[in-house]
Amino acid sequence: MWLPVLGLLLGLLLGFMSDLRVPPEYSNYLSIAVLAALDTLFGGIRAHLQGSFEDKVFITGFFFNILLAAGLAYLGVHLGIDLYLAAIFAFGVRLFNNIAVIRRLLISKWTESRKKA
Amino acid sequence: MFATIALIIGGMLAVQFETTNNPIVRDTRDLWELRADLEKEKQRQQELNEELQRYNELLNKYESEGNDEKIKAMEKALADLKKQAGLTTVSGQGIVMTIEPFSDQLIGDRPLPKIDPDMLRRLVNELNRYDAKEISIDGQRIVSKTPIREVNGDIYINNEPVSSFPIQIHVLAKNNEKLHRKIIASPAVEEFVRENFFVEASLAEVILPAYEQSVKVKYMKPAKEET
Repeated sequence: MWLPVLGLLLGLLLGFMSDLRVPPEYSNYLSIAVLAALDTLFGGIRAHLQGSFEDKVFITGFFFNILLAAGLAYLGVHLGIDLYLAAIFAFGVRLFNNIAVIRRLLISKWTESRKKA
Repeated sequence: MFATIALIIGGMLAVQFETTNNPIVRDTRDLWELRADLEKEKQRQQELNEELQRYNELLNKYESEGNDEKIKAMEKALADLKKQAGLTTVSGQGIVMTIEPFSDQLIGDRPLPKIDPDMLRRLVNELNRYDAKEISIDGQRIVSKTPIREVNGDIYINNEPVSSFPIQIHVLAKNNEKLHRKIIASPAVEEFVRENFFVEASLAEVILPAYEQSVKVKYMKPAKEET
Protein backbone atom coordinates (compact mmCIF):
# COMPACT_ATOMS: atom_id res chain seq x y z
CA MET A 1 0.00 0.00 0.00
CA TRP A 2 2.78 2.37 0.86
CA LEU A 3 4.92 1.50 -2.11
CA PRO A 4 3.04 3.75 -4.61
CA VAL A 5 3.20 6.69 -2.19
CA LEU A 6 6.89 6.07 -1.78
CA GLY A 7 7.24 5.92 -5.56
CA LEU A 8 5.37 9.21 -5.95
CA LEU A 9 7.58 10.92 -3.38
CA LEU A 10 10.71 9.47 -4.95
CA GLY A 11 9.55 10.66 -8.37
CA LEU A 12 8.88 14.17 -7.05
CA LEU A 13 12.27 14.22 -5.39
CA LEU A 14 14.04 13.01 -8.52
CA GLY A 15 12.16 15.53 -10.65
CA PHE A 16 13.11 18.42 -8.39
CA MET A 17 16.69 17.24 -7.99
CA SER A 18 17.32 16.72 -11.69
CA ASP A 19 16.50 20.37 -12.44
CA LEU A 20 14.99 19.16 -15.69
CA ARG A 21 12.86 21.71 -17.45
CA VAL A 22 10.73 21.58 -20.55
CA PRO A 23 10.96 24.34 -23.16
CA PRO A 24 7.97 26.67 -22.85
CA GLU A 25 6.52 25.65 -26.21
CA TYR A 26 6.15 22.08 -24.99
CA SER A 27 4.95 22.81 -21.48
CA ASN A 28 1.33 22.59 -22.70
CA TYR A 29 1.82 18.99 -23.71
CA LEU A 30 3.43 18.13 -20.43
CA SER A 31 0.64 19.72 -18.44
CA ILE A 32 -1.93 17.69 -20.34
CA ALA A 33 0.15 14.57 -19.94
CA VAL A 34 0.31 15.21 -16.20
CA LEU A 35 -3.46 15.53 -16.13
CA ALA A 36 -3.86 12.28 -18.03
CA ALA A 37 -1.42 10.58 -15.71
CA LEU A 38 -3.27 11.84 -12.64
CA ASP A 39 -6.51 10.60 -14.13
CA THR A 40 -5.01 7.17 -14.70
CA LEU A 41 -3.58 7.12 -11.21
CA PHE A 42 -6.90 7.86 -9.57
CA GLY A 43 -8.61 5.43 -11.91
CA GLY A 44 -6.14 2.81 -10.77
CA ILE A 45 -6.76 3.57 -7.10
CA ARG A 46 -10.47 3.31 -7.66
CA ALA A 47 -10.15 0.02 -9.52
CA HIS A 48 -7.96 -1.25 -6.73
CA LEU A 49 -10.57 -0.36 -4.12
CA GLN A 50 -13.32 -1.94 -6.18
CA GLY A 51 -11.25 -5.06 -6.58
CA SER A 52 -11.23 -4.89 -10.35
CA PHE A 53 -7.64 -3.75 -10.78
CA GLU A 54 -5.72 -5.17 -13.71
CA ASP A 55 -2.10 -4.46 -14.42
CA LYS A 56 -2.44 -4.52 -18.17
CA VAL A 57 -5.40 -2.18 -18.28
CA PHE A 58 -3.68 0.18 -15.91
CA ILE A 59 -0.35 0.36 -17.76
CA THR A 60 -1.87 0.58 -21.23
CA GLY A 61 -4.36 3.15 -19.98
CA PHE A 62 -1.56 5.23 -18.55
CA PHE A 63 0.52 5.42 -21.70
CA PHE A 64 -2.40 5.45 -24.11
CA ASN A 65 -4.15 8.30 -22.29
CA ILE A 66 -0.98 10.36 -22.17
CA LEU A 67 -0.27 9.83 -25.85
CA LEU A 68 -3.85 10.54 -26.82
CA ALA A 69 -3.96 13.73 -24.81
CA ALA A 70 -0.65 14.99 -26.16
CA GLY A 71 -1.63 13.96 -29.70
CA LEU A 72 -4.93 15.78 -29.39
CA ALA A 73 -3.16 18.89 -28.19
CA TYR A 74 -0.68 18.61 -31.07
CA LEU A 75 -3.47 18.20 -33.59
CA GLY A 76 -5.27 21.16 -32.05
CA VAL A 77 -2.22 23.38 -32.44
CA HIS A 78 -1.96 22.50 -36.12
CA LEU A 79 -5.67 22.83 -36.82
CA GLY A 80 -6.00 26.09 -34.90
CA ILE A 81 -8.63 24.58 -32.57
CA ASP A 82 -8.03 24.42 -28.86
CA LEU A 83 -8.47 20.68 -28.81
CA TYR A 84 -6.50 20.35 -25.61
CA LEU A 85 -9.53 21.82 -23.90
CA ALA A 86 -11.37 18.64 -24.84
CA ALA A 87 -8.70 16.60 -23.10
CA ILE A 88 -8.71 18.86 -20.07
CA PHE A 89 -12.49 18.67 -19.86
CA ALA A 90 -12.64 14.90 -20.25
CA PHE A 91 -9.86 14.23 -17.79
CA GLY A 92 -11.11 16.82 -15.36
CA VAL A 93 -14.59 15.31 -15.23
CA ARG A 94 -13.18 11.79 -14.91
CA LEU A 95 -10.81 12.94 -12.18
CA PHE A 96 -13.69 14.30 -10.13
CA ASN A 97 -15.77 11.21 -10.73
CA ASN A 98 -12.96 8.91 -9.73
CA ILE A 99 -12.18 10.87 -6.61
CA ALA A 100 -15.86 10.90 -5.65
CA VAL A 101 -16.08 7.14 -6.07
CA ILE A 102 -12.89 6.65 -4.07
CA ARG A 103 -14.30 8.81 -1.31
CA ARG A 104 -17.53 6.84 -1.17
CA LEU A 105 -15.68 3.56 -1.13
CA LEU A 106 -13.43 4.72 1.67
CA ILE A 107 -16.37 6.00 3.68
CA SER A 108 -18.32 2.76 3.31
CA LYS A 109 -15.24 0.77 4.26
CA TRP A 110 -14.77 2.93 7.33
CA THR A 111 -18.37 2.63 8.49
CA GLU A 112 -18.21 -1.13 7.99
CA SER A 113 -15.10 -1.43 10.07
CA ARG A 114 -16.70 0.64 12.80
CA LYS A 115 -19.80 -1.53 12.83
CA LYS A 116 -17.64 -4.59 13.25
CA ALA A 117 -15.75 -3.06 16.11
CA MET B 1 3.84 -1.84 -11.07
CA PHE B 2 1.69 0.76 -9.44
CA ALA B 3 4.75 2.17 -7.76
CA THR B 4 6.60 2.56 -11.08
CA ILE B 5 3.73 4.51 -12.57
CA ALA B 6 3.51 6.61 -9.43
CA LEU B 7 7.23 7.32 -9.75
CA ILE B 8 6.79 8.46 -13.35
CA ILE B 9 3.84 10.64 -12.38
CA GLY B 10 5.83 12.16 -9.54
CA GLY B 11 8.66 12.97 -11.93
CA MET B 12 6.28 14.52 -14.43
CA LEU B 13 4.62 16.60 -11.75
CA ALA B 14 7.95 17.85 -10.49
CA VAL B 15 9.17 18.74 -13.98
CA GLN B 16 5.92 20.52 -14.76
CA PHE B 17 6.13 22.38 -11.47
CA GLU B 18 9.68 23.45 -12.18
CA THR B 19 8.78 24.51 -15.71
CA THR B 20 5.88 26.70 -14.68
CA ASN B 21 7.64 28.23 -11.72
CA ASN B 22 10.92 29.12 -13.34
CA PRO B 23 10.64 28.75 -17.08
CA ILE B 24 13.66 28.67 -19.32
CA VAL B 25 14.42 32.18 -20.49
CA ARG B 26 16.19 32.24 -23.78
CA ASP B 27 19.09 34.63 -24.14
CA THR B 28 18.42 36.51 -27.34
CA ARG B 29 21.07 39.20 -27.03
CA ASP B 30 23.37 39.62 -29.99
CA LEU B 31 27.08 40.20 -29.89
CA TRP B 32 26.87 43.96 -29.44
CA GLU B 33 24.27 43.80 -26.75
CA LEU B 34 26.35 41.22 -24.95
CA ARG B 35 29.38 43.45 -25.17
CA ALA B 36 27.43 46.45 -23.92
CA ASP B 37 26.05 44.39 -21.04
CA LEU B 38 29.48 43.10 -20.20
CA GLU B 39 30.77 46.64 -20.18
CA LYS B 40 27.92 47.68 -17.91
CA GLU B 41 28.62 44.87 -15.50
CA LYS B 42 32.30 45.70 -15.43
CA GLN B 43 31.47 49.30 -14.67
CA ARG B 44 29.16 48.16 -11.91
CA GLN B 45 31.82 45.93 -10.49
CA GLN B 46 34.26 48.79 -10.46
CA GLU B 47 31.76 51.07 -8.79
CA LEU B 48 31.00 48.48 -6.17
CA ASN B 49 34.66 47.94 -5.55
CA GLU B 50 35.21 51.64 -5.14
CA GLU B 51 32.31 51.84 -2.75
CA LEU B 52 33.66 48.94 -0.78
CA GLN B 53 37.02 50.58 -0.56
CA ARG B 54 35.49 53.83 0.58
CA TYR B 55 33.55 52.14 3.33
CA ASN B 56 36.57 50.15 4.37
CA GLU B 57 38.53 53.36 4.70
CA LEU B 58 35.73 54.88 6.72
CA LEU B 59 35.67 51.82 8.92
CA ASN B 60 39.39 51.99 9.43
CA LYS B 61 39.06 55.60 10.36
CA TYR B 62 36.38 54.84 12.90
CA GLU B 63 38.42 52.06 14.39
CA SER B 64 41.78 53.76 14.46
CA GLU B 65 40.67 57.08 15.88
CA GLY B 66 39.76 57.81 19.45
CA ASN B 67 36.28 58.46 20.79
CA ASP B 68 36.37 62.17 20.18
CA GLU B 69 37.60 61.69 16.69
CA LYS B 70 34.98 59.06 16.11
CA ILE B 71 32.20 61.49 16.85
CA LYS B 72 33.83 64.04 14.65
CA ALA B 73 34.11 61.57 11.80
CA MET B 74 30.49 60.59 12.24
CA GLU B 75 29.40 64.19 12.24
CA LYS B 76 31.36 64.73 9.08
CA ALA B 77 29.74 61.69 7.51
CA LEU B 78 26.33 62.96 8.59
CA ALA B 79 27.02 66.38 7.12
CA ASP B 80 28.20 64.76 3.90
CA LEU B 81 25.06 62.67 3.69
CA LYS B 82 22.87 65.69 4.40
CA LYS B 83 24.61 67.55 1.62
CA GLN B 84 24.13 64.62 -0.70
CA ALA B 85 20.47 64.36 0.17
CA GLY B 86 19.95 68.05 -0.60
CA LEU B 87 19.16 69.16 2.94
CA THR B 88 21.66 72.02 2.90
CA THR B 89 21.84 75.24 0.98
CA VAL B 90 24.51 75.10 -1.67
CA SER B 91 25.90 77.77 -3.90
CA GLY B 92 28.52 78.13 -6.54
CA GLN B 93 29.18 78.65 -10.18
CA GLY B 94 26.32 77.01 -12.05
CA ILE B 95 23.71 77.41 -14.71
CA VAL B 96 20.50 79.38 -14.69
CA MET B 97 17.79 78.24 -17.06
CA THR B 98 14.83 80.48 -17.68
CA ILE B 99 11.60 79.15 -19.13
CA GLU B 100 8.99 81.57 -20.36
CA PRO B 101 6.39 81.67 -23.11
CA PHE B 102 7.39 83.25 -26.39
CA SER B 103 6.40 86.91 -26.47
CA ASP B 104 2.84 87.77 -27.46
CA GLN B 105 3.72 88.89 -30.96
CA LEU B 106 5.10 85.51 -31.72
CA ILE B 107 2.20 83.46 -30.51
CA GLY B 108 -0.53 85.88 -31.56
CA ASP B 109 -3.93 85.48 -29.97
CA ARG B 110 -3.28 82.00 -28.74
CA PRO B 111 -3.62 81.39 -25.01
CA LEU B 112 -0.54 81.03 -22.87
CA PRO B 113 1.09 77.68 -23.33
CA LYS B 114 0.95 75.31 -20.38
CA ILE B 115 3.76 73.33 -18.88
CA ASP B 116 3.14 69.65 -18.48
CA PRO B 117 4.71 68.07 -15.37
CA ASP B 118 6.03 65.32 -17.63
CA MET B 119 8.10 67.88 -19.49
CA LEU B 120 9.65 69.09 -16.26
CA ARG B 121 10.26 65.57 -15.08
CA ARG B 122 11.94 64.73 -18.35
CA LEU B 123 14.07 67.83 -18.10
CA VAL B 124 15.15 66.91 -14.58
CA ASN B 125 15.95 63.39 -15.70
CA GLU B 126 17.96 64.71 -18.56
CA LEU B 127 19.87 67.15 -16.39
CA ASN B 128 20.68 64.34 -14.03
CA ARG B 129 21.88 62.29 -16.95
CA TYR B 130 24.16 65.16 -17.96
CA ASP B 131 25.85 64.94 -14.55
CA ALA B 132 24.01 67.76 -12.86
CA LYS B 133 24.70 67.54 -9.14
CA GLU B 134 22.06 69.79 -7.67
CA ILE B 135 18.88 71.15 -9.21
CA SER B 136 16.26 73.55 -8.02
CA ILE B 137 13.17 74.68 -9.89
CA ASP B 138 11.61 77.98 -8.91
CA GLY B 139 13.27 77.92 -5.51
CA GLN B 140 12.31 74.32 -4.81
CA ARG B 141 15.20 71.97 -4.36
CA ILE B 142 14.87 68.75 -6.33
CA VAL B 143 15.75 65.73 -4.20
CA SER B 144 15.19 62.10 -4.91
CA LYS B 145 11.72 62.20 -3.40
CA THR B 146 10.55 65.46 -4.95
CA PRO B 147 7.12 65.17 -6.52
CA ILE B 148 6.35 67.18 -9.65
CA ARG B 149 2.61 67.17 -10.18
CA GLU B 150 -0.20 69.01 -11.82
CA VAL B 151 -3.04 69.98 -9.54
CA ASN B 152 -6.00 71.86 -10.99
CA GLY B 153 -3.90 73.08 -13.88
CA ASP B 154 -1.03 74.35 -11.74
CA ILE B 155 2.36 72.76 -11.38
CA TYR B 156 3.30 71.77 -7.85
CA ILE B 157 6.86 70.95 -6.90
CA ASN B 158 7.50 69.66 -3.38
CA ASN B 159 3.79 70.33 -2.87
CA GLU B 160 4.35 74.05 -3.42
CA PRO B 161 2.75 75.75 -6.41
CA VAL B 162 5.16 77.11 -8.99
CA SER B 163 4.80 80.83 -9.39
CA SER B 164 4.08 82.43 -12.74
CA PHE B 165 6.53 82.76 -15.62
CA PRO B 166 9.42 83.03 -16.03
CA ILE B 167 10.39 79.84 -14.24
CA GLN B 168 13.99 79.72 -13.15
CA ILE B 169 15.90 76.48 -12.90
CA HIS B 170 19.22 76.51 -11.09
CA VAL B 171 21.68 73.76 -11.75
CA LEU B 172 25.03 72.95 -10.23
CA ALA B 173 27.35 70.58 -12.02
CA LYS B 174 30.91 69.42 -11.94
CA ASN B 175 31.57 70.72 -15.40
CA ASN B 176 29.30 73.67 -16.07
CA GLU B 177 30.44 74.41 -19.63
CA LYS B 178 29.83 70.85 -20.69
CA LEU B 179 26.40 70.83 -19.09
CA HIS B 180 25.58 74.14 -20.73
CA ARG B 181 26.45 72.77 -24.16
CA LYS B 182 24.41 69.66 -23.49
CA ILE B 183 21.40 71.70 -22.36
CA ILE B 184 21.47 73.67 -25.58
CA ALA B 185 21.23 70.46 -27.59
CA SER B 186 18.88 68.72 -25.17
CA PRO B 187 15.73 67.03 -26.51
CA ALA B 188 13.83 67.99 -23.37
CA VAL B 189 14.52 71.64 -24.05
CA GLU B 190 13.39 71.13 -27.64
CA GLU B 191 10.17 69.75 -26.24
CA PHE B 192 9.65 73.05 -24.39
CA VAL B 193 10.29 75.00 -27.57
CA ARG B 194 7.76 72.86 -29.42
CA GLU B 195 5.23 73.83 -26.77
CA ASN B 196 5.94 77.52 -27.42
CA PHE B 197 8.31 78.15 -24.57
CA PHE B 198 11.47 80.13 -24.78
CA VAL B 199 14.29 78.48 -22.86
CA GLU B 200 17.47 80.30 -22.07
CA ALA B 201 20.47 78.90 -20.25
CA SER B 202 23.44 80.88 -19.03
CA LEU B 203 26.34 80.43 -16.69
CA ALA B 204 25.97 82.33 -13.45
CA GLU B 205 26.55 82.26 -9.72
CA VAL B 206 23.63 80.35 -8.24
CA ILE B 207 22.31 79.63 -4.76
CA LEU B 208 20.20 76.53 -4.31
CA PRO B 209 17.95 76.48 -1.24
CA ALA B 210 17.78 73.43 0.99
CA TYR B 211 14.98 70.92 0.79
CA GLU B 212 12.75 72.09 3.60
CA GLN B 213 10.30 69.28 4.15
CA SER B 214 11.09 66.25 6.21
CA VAL B 215 12.19 63.24 4.25
CA LYS B 216 9.90 60.37 5.02
CA VAL B 217 11.64 57.04 4.85
CA LYS B 218 9.02 54.38 4.43
CA TYR B 219 10.72 51.29 3.18
CA MET B 220 13.98 51.22 5.11
CA LYS B 221 14.84 49.46 8.32
CA PRO B 222 18.06 49.64 10.31
CA ALA B 223 20.16 46.61 9.54
CA LYS B 224 20.72 44.28 12.43
CA GLU B 225 24.14 44.67 13.89
CA GLU B 226 26.21 41.53 13.79
CA THR B 227 27.50 40.67 17.19
